[in-house]
Amino acid sequence: MKKTPLALFLALGLLHTPLPVLAATAPLDLVQPVSDYKIYVTEQLDELASNTQKFTDAVKKGDLATAKKLYAPTRVYYESIEPIAELFSDLDASIDSRVDDHEKGVTAPDFTGFHRIEYSLFSENSTQGLDQLADGLNKDVKDLQARVAGLTFPPEKVVGGAAALMEEVAATKISGEEDRYSHTDLYDFQGNVDGAKKIFDLFRTQIEQNDKAFAAKVDKNFATVNKILAKYKTADGGFETYDKVKENDRKALVGPVNTLAEDLSTLRGKLGLN
Amino acid sequence: MPTPASGTPPRALRWAVAGSVIVMIAAGGLFYYASQLAAAKRKVHNNEVTVTIHPHSCEPNALTVPAGFNSFRIVNASERAVEWEILDGVLVVEERENIAPGLSQVINATLAPGDYAITCGLLSNPRGTLHVTPTAESEARANARPSMVAFIGPLSEFRVYLSSQGSALIKAVDALSQAIAADDLVQAQALYIPAREAYQRLAPAAQRLAELDNAINARADYFEKREQDPGFTGFHRLEYGLFDQRSTQGLIPVAQQLQANAIQLKQQLLAQSLPPEQLVSIVARTLHNLADTRANSGEEERYSHIDLSGFAANLEVARKVVDLLRPLLARKNADLLHSIDSASTSLEAELNGLKTAQGYRTYDTVSSEQRQQISNKAKVLADALDGIDPALGLSGL
Repeated sequence: MKKTPLALFLALGLLHTPLPVLAATAPLDLVQPVSDYKIYVTEQLDELASNTQKFTDAVKKGDLATAKKLYAPTRVYYESIEPIAELFSDLDASIDSRVDDHEKGVTAPDFTGFHRIEYSLFSENSTQGLDQLADGLNKDVKDLQARVAGLTFPPEKVVGGAAALMEEVAATKISGEEDRYSHTDLYDFQGNVDGAKKIFDLFRTQIEQNDKAFAAKVDKNFATVNKILAKYKTADGGFETYDKVKENDRKALVGPVNTLAEDLSTLRGKLGLN
Repeated sequence: MPTPASGTPPRALRWAVAGSVIVMIAAGGLFYYASQLAAAKRKVHNNEVTVTIHPHSCEPNALTVPAGFNSFRIVNASERAVEWEILDGVLVVEERENIAPGLSQVINATLAPGDYAITCGLLSNPRGTLHVTPTAESEARANARPSMVAFIGPLSEFRVYLSSQGSALIKAVDALSQAIAADDLVQAQALYIPAREAYQRLAPAAQRLAELDNAINARADYFEKREQDPGFTGFHRLEYGLFDQRSTQGLIPVAQQLQANAIQLKQQLLAQSLPPEQLVSIVARTLHNLADTRANSGEEERYSHIDLSGFAANLEVARKVVDLLRPLLARKNADLLHSIDSASTSLEAELNGLKTAQGYRTYDTVSSEQRQQISNKAKVLADALDGIDPALGLSGL
């Protein structure tokens, strides 16, 4: 029998049906990116430790100007590796909790770490009484280094970390509440975005095998976010304060940030880790 | 073939049939999709536990749920944006941050049986408890052979270990090479030891790379003219010069080649994929080789007699592998894990007994009885390590 329009039509119809099963990622293919991610986190933590030392040295010397200058570029290493850092709930609280997490606010004795020091430096313009907080921060960062070194990274937390970082941006960075005293939110913003992009890049080969169009869409949204952030870069490699960010740019960030958070949340499933 | 005149009605009919078939397929598909969606919703809804965060407490603050997939709807009835976390010790299992006041969010968590803590809003609020009870499914899962996915973590961690030890080897060989270039015999002899230790931690993995490993580690026995053979290079050629000839003469190019090979080794080790059964078999093989040959003969470091520090480094990497598989072994065969641990403690104690304030004794001062003890203990450990493969079903993965 000759090919009829019906056969042709059915064949076309079948072709249009999305293929339900995509090539699954072999678990062993995830070993390289997961281990490369640990190597990246370890390097970031080394930077965090040495920069925290310099920052707290300035605080303890009473050098307010230097301490203020070093605050944001030091924190950024923590922000980029938050998916792993915040697995340790006790250290996450002592290093990075915000005033809202404490019932008694700034006077709470357990309000310690970066944001407590930020409060004194930027809101009170003072380094008074920060010695103990500075030593504590140094000790906690070293403790974090040791614990991360001994941690076998759970693959689903690594892959899930990309979305977690973008959710963090959506929840706390666009509103400008993270660094409310120093207004250095854009450093953290960039740190979160870089951390998420790092994870995406490490798993790029496996993701592209699975869904090339998806990878292209994610790339495009990362590029949009980075382009807007780049407008606020300063000559010294830092960022303008968050109050300088124009309303239309804040709005322009919301869409791609939310889409990235949503898209990246499908990575675990795409890589067979659900 | 139908004529054009009579062809029109059947063609129209065919199109109609085609159309209705398509509609039926589409309707069937939609029905299937809708029923799946409804089933998924029911499933989520069935397991959903609601927790309300008040300003100073959570309600309920003591939860009991069955193992497996659970949904928690967290309602924030406090005045601040807060977080809710499930903790296993200090480690976060699942969390949701920044739940806005007056709103709720759902946390999905797949939980293993056990007792967890939950944080509830403000850091000063009392922590809650989460008791996860075993189910038939979770019991079956615990008894089942671990899947390949369970080895991604341990294998990744081993690759990180190869990376850091590879860097340590490069650094140690560079320092050794510098001392040779400076014609500092005493310093070069001293730096030979840490460089060998770094190599011995990589040895089980390095031995998979036959040719490169020979260039780094082959002993004189493997060459026709032994020490005089131009093909004799690498660590042992340096050892021969530094400890037997007591001279750095002619060693500069050998040291430079070893530097280049150490860089190569790190790169190639990171490029190799290591299946789970080999993670175990390579360290077991190194210890069998120690038990069968090296412990008694002392042939490995025959000019410098620094064998003991190499044995200790071999033990160290074997322990690393055991530690990486510890959670799986504890679950599948705790007795085997116990035997492995006591065998490795026993071998370590034997080696430590041969330590002085300056480090390990040289192997030429270790008696044949003591060598036999090392051999015996290495064999007990190697045999115990051979039990891991069947216990975890590695070869069948």
